[in-house]
Amino acid sequence: MQSLLLAATALFLLNFNALGTATGSRRFSQDLTYAWFGNQAWLYPRNGAVAGATPKAVVVMIDEPALALRGARWPVPLAFHAEFLAELAVLRPRAIMLDFLLIDPAPAADTCAFLSVASDLKKGGTPLYLAVTRLEDLGVLDQAGCRDAAGNALLADQVLTPVAVRKQVDGADFVNRLYPFEALSADARPGAGLPSAAIRMYCDAQHSPDACIARLTQSVIADGGFELAWSPQGDPFNQRWSHVACNEISSPSRAILNQPVLPRESPCPPLPTLFASAILDPTADATLGEQNEQLFGLVEGAYVFVGGNFRGSGDLMITPMHTLLPGIYYHAAALENLLAFDGRPKVRKEFRDSKLGFYIYDLVVLWLLAAIFQWRQRRVDDGQPGAEGPFHLSPSARARLEQLAARIPTPLWVLAVVVVLVLLAAYKFLQLIAVAVAAAVVVVIEFRIASSIEMKARLRAVGLYFLALGLSLGVIALAIWIGYRWLMLPPGDWIGYLSFAAFGFFVAHTAILEFERRVDELRRSRRVTGETR
Amino acid sequence: MRTLPGITLLGLLAAASAHAAEPPATGTDACLMLNNRVLGPRTKDRPLPLMVRDAAQAFHYACSASWSTLSPNNAPLPVLECFRGTLLQVANGSACGKDSRPLWVSSRWVLTSADLQQPVTRVAVCQQLETGAWAGTRDFSVECAERAAAKPAPLAAPKTSTSASPVPETTPH
Repeated sequence: MQSLLLAATALFLLNFNALGTATGSRRFSQDLTYAWFGNQAWLYPRNGAVAGATPKAVVVMIDEPALALRGARWPVPLAFHAEFLAELAVLRPRAIMLDFLLIDPAPAADTCAFLSVASDLKKGGTPLYLAVTRLEDLGVLDQAGCRDAAGNALLADQVLTPVAVRKQVDGADFVNRLYPFEALSADARPGAGLPSAAIRMYCDAQHSPDACIARLTQSVIADGGFELAWSPQGDPFNQRWSHVACNEISSPSRAILNQPVLPRESPCPPLPTLFASAILDPTADATLGEQNEQLFGLVEGAYVFVGGNFRGSGDLMITPMHTLLPGIYYHAAALENLLAFDGRPKVRKEFRDSKLGFYIYDLVVLWLLAAIFQWRQRRVDDGQPGAEGPFHLSPSARARLEQLAARIPTPLWVLAVVVVLVLLAAYKFLQLIAVAVAAAVVVVIEFRIASSIEMKARLRAVGLYFLALGLSLGVIALAIWIGYRWLMLPPGDWIGYLSFAAFGFFVAHTAILEFERRVDELRRSRRVTGETR
Repeated sequence: MRTLPGITLLGLLAAASAHAAEPPATGTDACLMLNNRVLGPRTKDRPLPLMVRDAAQAFHYACSASWSTLSPNNAPLPVLECFRGTLLQVANGSACGKDSRPLWVSSRWVLTSADLQQPVTRVAVCQQLETGAWAGTRDFSVECAERAAAKPAPLAAPKTSTSASPVPETTPH
């Protein structure tokens, strides 16, 4: 029962989020997992079970050189969008998402040309999805009173599909690792909003699009979203224009060596990226093939996301790798997640309707970890009753150090400790050195001073500690894998679990023992008082 | 021992070879080559997107038409004009129906005789993503009418200002 209490205490402390302090380790655990393993198919199966079988997402960036090739300039005129979509139509993509808000009035002829191209795309089997802030945005396009070749009214909602493009930030660190299922107005119930771009595009390709959208939007609370899995590795297609190697990944050893563990830049994004200027000008990228074979191979049958790459536009996202990318990657990566996980993306437990079950799952995992801790404690006590934990010095070593400390005036060694701690706080490179030196000093002292019996007990305690830690790591890895693979949870708070397995249970256990001791004392004193009366 | 005529001849040959070794023509120059013609599509037989140019020299989408509509006899079409080496004006103004303005097609989708004469060169692709977060406002190309400048007031007495011409409303973004 004590292990259950320990587990419940750990669960509470790991989820105690009064000032947002708990979410830090949770988010960092998730981001590090993707930074180290996001390019592995077992974690993020981006290409599906069979390479090439899953349609891919391709990003196309409209930039200033592309506008110049058509004599246009920013803001992107509607005429340019019509021309460019007509050019993309040649490549027969599976679908096109245009991540531009077309809410400014434009000449009627350009509006009608745009709607005509959208109509042709739809007839050719390539649906066009248009970014809107609300459904009324389409009214601007309908004001032109366009008609098709047969004289029928050409309305925006008949030829294109409006999609929500609201970005959701994680309140803990403002990273865009959450993708909303829909844009909901205030007081609206889940499922009643405008689906986000990736949700709409994915579900429209399913047998029952409405059922797909309902399943995704109604199984979560309002304003819920799914976690974006992310690959740290750049797409090899981008090597043609990226000035850095696209296959570099951050190594886990950087965390051990106290180096930054998340990349600062992603100059080679994980999705294949074409620049519009390369599509419009064959000489801009001569490697796309004399018969455009590379271009067809990349775009034909793919989901194409068209966004802007303009200096100072402000449409940026902070990726789960804590880098900046143009906002269009937010939607492209979200669709890639839906494709990779067969429409069952990772959703954190706080957004689930029945979240209590997931917390009970966490409790079971922590109970196992607490049981391992208790087992370790019993084994140490069996070997030497009253034995101290692995972090305590042996009595001989402690006595020797106390004698040394007694020789130095208290204010002096307090000042020395303060100076050392300030230096360690100010100079990061000293921290690892200090830990290594402290560990070496403790080991040397123990070997020189402690008796052979004490040494055996210490080594046994340390050995049991690392054995318990290893077992705990195995339990944590298995628990996170089960949660990720079968419960559709994002990578869990393994940093939090590990910290409890390594240190937290010792503190909690001591506090619980002290509490039990006080309760026993109170009971005994009441019994004695009762007997006296 | 080389003679003077031999040295002169060598010099002339060197000059000629230096002239012949000039870098190939750029996109625009190649487009404007004499007798440049559109030979056929590079679209996997899909319709070619065609554009027209308005009086303000801006391009607009006109229609998409097959190569057989653009060139019914499957004959090479002369390139009449080029825009930045990427848009080619072809000798066909009727492929899009009633609009008889000259039609333009992107050089991405057609093969020209200039392409055949150009050596295939692998050019460096100079692109990058704009991810800088700038603390400044991007300029909009908003047309506005300048107010008429007030005439300088005489030293003797102040003069009332003339009414300014109304500034057209801009669409809020």
